[in-house]
Amino acid sequence: MDVLKQVLGRLHPLIVHLPIGFIILGLLLLWYDRKRKEYTKVIPLVYLWGGISAALACITGYLQYLGEGYAFDTVKWHLWSGIATALFSFLMYAKLKGIQQIDFLNKVPTLVLSVLFFLLISFTGHQGGNITHGEDYLVEPLPNHIKSALGFETFEEKAIVLNEENWEDAPIYDDVIKPILNNNCVSCHGQKKTKGELQLHNPEVILKGGENGEIIVVNDPENSELYTRLVLPKDDEDHMPPKEKRQPTPEETELIKAWLSIGNPFEGTIGELGMEKELFLSFFPKKHDADHPDIQISAAAQDTIMNIKNKGFHVEHISKASHFLEVSCINKPSFVDSDFEILMPITEQIAILDLGGTQITDAIFEKLATLPNLTILKLDATAITGKNIELLTSLEHLKSINLTGSNLEEIYLQSFTEFKKLEIAYVFGTKVEGEGVRTLKDGQITIDYGNYELPPLPSDSIIY
Amino acid sequence: MEDLIKRLIQEKIAREAEAKTRRHFIKSCAQGMGGLALSSIFMGCDPLEKPKAKNTIAFSERDLNPLATLAPPFAPKVKSVIYLHMAGAPSQLEMFDYKPELQKYHGQDCPQSLLEGRKFAFIKGTPKLMGPQAEFKQEGESGNWVSNFMPHFKKVVDEVAFLKAVHTDQFNHGPAQLFMHTGSARLGRPSIGAWATYGLGSPNQNLPGFVVLTSGGNTPDAGKSVWGSGFLPSVYQGVQCRSKGDPVLYIEDPDGMTRDLKKSTIDAINKINKEEYAKYADPEILARINQYEMAYRMQIAVPEVMNINNEPENVQQMYGVEPGKESFANNCLLARKLVEDGVRFVQLFDWGWDTHGNIREGSIDLGLRNKCGEIDRPIAALILDLKQRGLLDETLIVWGGEFGRTPMQENRGNKKMAYKGRDHHGDAFTMWMAGGGIKKGVSHGKTDDIGFSGIEGRVSVHDIHATILHLLGFDHEQFTYEFQGRHFRLTDVEGELIKEILA
Repeated sequence: MDVLKQVLGRLHPLIVHLPIGFIILGLLLLWYDRKRKEYTKVIPLVYLWGGISAALACITGYLQYLGEGYAFDTVKWHLWSGIATALFSFLMYAKLKGIQQIDFLNKVPTLVLSVLFFLLISFTGHQGGNITHGEDYLVEPLPNHIKSALGFETFEEKAIVLNEENWEDAPIYDDVIKPILNNNCVSCHGQKKTKGELQLHNPEVILKGGENGEIIVVNDPENSELYTRLVLPKDDEDHMPPKEKRQPTPEETELIKAWLSIGNPFEGTIGELGMEKELFLSFFPKKHDADHPDIQISAAAQDTIMNIKNKGFHVEHISKASHFLEVSCINKPSFVDSDFEILMPITEQIAILDLGGTQITDAIFEKLATLPNLTILKLDATAITGKNIELLTSLEHLKSINLTGSNLEEIYLQSFTEFKKLEIAYVFGTKVEGEGVRTLKDGQITIDYGNYELPPLPSDSIIY
Repeated sequence: MEDLIKRLIQEKIAREAEAKTRRHFIKSCAQGMGGLALSSIFMGCDPLEKPKAKNTIAFSERDLNPLATLAPPFAPKVKSVIYLHMAGAPSQLEMFDYKPELQKYHGQDCPQSLLEGRKFAFIKGTPKLMGPQAEFKQEGESGNWVSNFMPHFKKVVDEVAFLKAVHTDQFNHGPAQLFMHTGSARLGRPSIGAWATYGLGSPNQNLPGFVVLTSGGNTPDAGKSVWGSGFLPSVYQGVQCRSKGDPVLYIEDPDGMTRDLKKSTIDAINKINKEEYAKYADPEILARINQYEMAYRMQIAVPEVMNINNEPENVQQMYGVEPGKESFANNCLLARKLVEDGVRFVQLFDWGWDTHGNIREGSIDLGLRNKCGEIDRPIAALILDLKQRGLLDETLIVWGGEFGRTPMQENRGNKKMAYKGRDHHGDAFTMWMAGGGIKKGVSHGKTDDIGFSGIEGRVSVHDIHATILHLLGFDHEQFTYEFQGRHFRLTDVEGELIKEILA
């Protein structure tokens, strides 16, 4: 029986669209036909079916309410307005059919009834939608200012933006403390909600405190609840924000403490107040140091990648979030210069290329220069001498070259200073002599010559 | 309970459904499957193209080749991991955690406040504190402390990031090793290497993705579960290779068996397996087909990569290898070769670090010094060698034991021991990491004056796992595997990134 309840109940979302269709059709016909009177016989029939299907929708709806465990409070408006819709539909039928027994109907103009009916069915449908999709389903995609104008709650995260140049000029409260409180606290302690009678959205209310009095003891963060509540163990009842809510980062908590310990100033910049730079470092923009350029590119087609893989190459996205590719010949030591043609469809996407241990020659450089986003290049254990390596200086993003175990010759090292973004080159095991690391271009480029040694020590042979 | 059973039944139904869709596909192109050459199966070309044409559910490349690479969710800092585990637990107090104050209290009774409510493996009654049995110096530009037990290490001290206040809640070897490698002190969870190969695959088709090498005359107390696959498919478990004799047992063809014969044998077996698969659609059969293929290719590739004799003399000297023997130095050189060839995870276990002071080999001033001597040069060589080959930037090296050792001298049975020793101690011990994405030359965390507990920057085993996964390109909270109705993580419900050592 329960099963039947559930199965029939789940037909409700399907069946409700029948009365909606019938009733809207009825209304449209009614309005269209006001003067023409062409469909007088049809319209009551439409309402009759509207009423019957609405009654069916009521029954299935009630079963769904029973079978799916909704609370009555959730569905009550929808339930009553649904029943009203069914009744209204029958009433319209009766009125249009001119059934005399209910003559009070005849006193109300049909047009007024139809408008009321339209409002009723819209309301009913909307209530139903709210139950299945949630109340903020419709407004959710709207921009924040429209949402708040409509009276819906909005949460606007205020980012803390500081950088190497401007951090000292940033007003401490407006640019740092206010965003921290806004992002972590104000959704419960603000104008809309004021839990514990505490508000934290402007200086006055912060100083006022909450139901337990002030939350700041001047210059004493360890006794200021604005700080101490944050550092209580998460399981403590008094810990704020509540443990299931978003938590401030350790850096943010530390800043609140630092701000309280200098007397919680609402005016003045970080520089004027003499606060330490370390406190703010975590809000500086992160340096991009991934193994691919910091630009957006289009993705290579799956089929293209599959084709290249099937030719024995290892091809993989650098990450699931990136279109850049890593290509390696680890399973294809037979790779020769002319095989580069196979990679032509993905020249834009290749960021990491490993041709180590392959049969390439110096002619490969001309082709490598056509990889605009190449960032990491490995040519280790190959026969290249470095002739024409200067062709790679056109590459904007090339960061690392591995030439270990190749036939690289000293003279070709000269062109390395011409590279734009080169950071490191590995030349161990080549014809280039040297050991350890040396730098070029004022330390921008590191050349690792390798040949590291661990000279024997007297203690090496002692057994204790 | 009823709920649990329901979930289990659901999981069973889900698995059956999964198998069925494959079975339908198999029926629809059984002919195509039958005619497939083995090599093309492995490359995954035909089966991947056919379903498209027929508009059926495709095999993923993973079904056919469980080690096929996958892109990590985030851009990774490293491609490979070399994990150096000193089984038995090395003494941080004689290697990296210098405690001059402890020397002042040498020979005095340990304060009762430290002993109350604590369990030790062997210490009874009131033990005496024991000062560092090694001499320490600040080394390198970083000025981090290194003892004279590790004289070569000072050359690489600026490459590593120390974690001085690691803690674990296990104080027996087996459970502590399991915890360190699987995130749980009980059996059944996958090891870090298994998670890594499951999540990323391994680029080299001729080598396993997860290789384990052991030295020191014994394997870890926790057994092979420390490199096991737990509830992950068994193909992700570590492959133990030997550094002495044949790297993998029975890898050589027996006398009189040619490689062609071997090939046709495997072809025949796999043909039967494929028929079996067509009938039952069990993905484990596919994995088995692949294992045969992989084993066949490994026969050539593994002896090649596992042969350290081909390395130049100076490299062999740098590591201090002893060809033909089982040694940590050999394993370090092998680790470099394996990582160079694209192996995802290399796990080294060196046995013999359990320095209780009950025997000479297990003494803190003699035996430990010899053990340090066995790893000092190889580890420094490994770091330098990876560096000069441009591999250190894309490899993570992790060093540590399963726990640390007490600042007190062990007094097993409340008696004075024959040699100086320290008991198991999980409250504070040292580990270090080096390589891609790791800040060079830092020391994170601090222990109290006698090195008993961490007082700053304490990190847990879960934190270390979270950090390893992060460097490989995962968010440890999102990287899960569904088993028995729930999502499992390497870090369970814990773990925080150790940001202080990230570059």
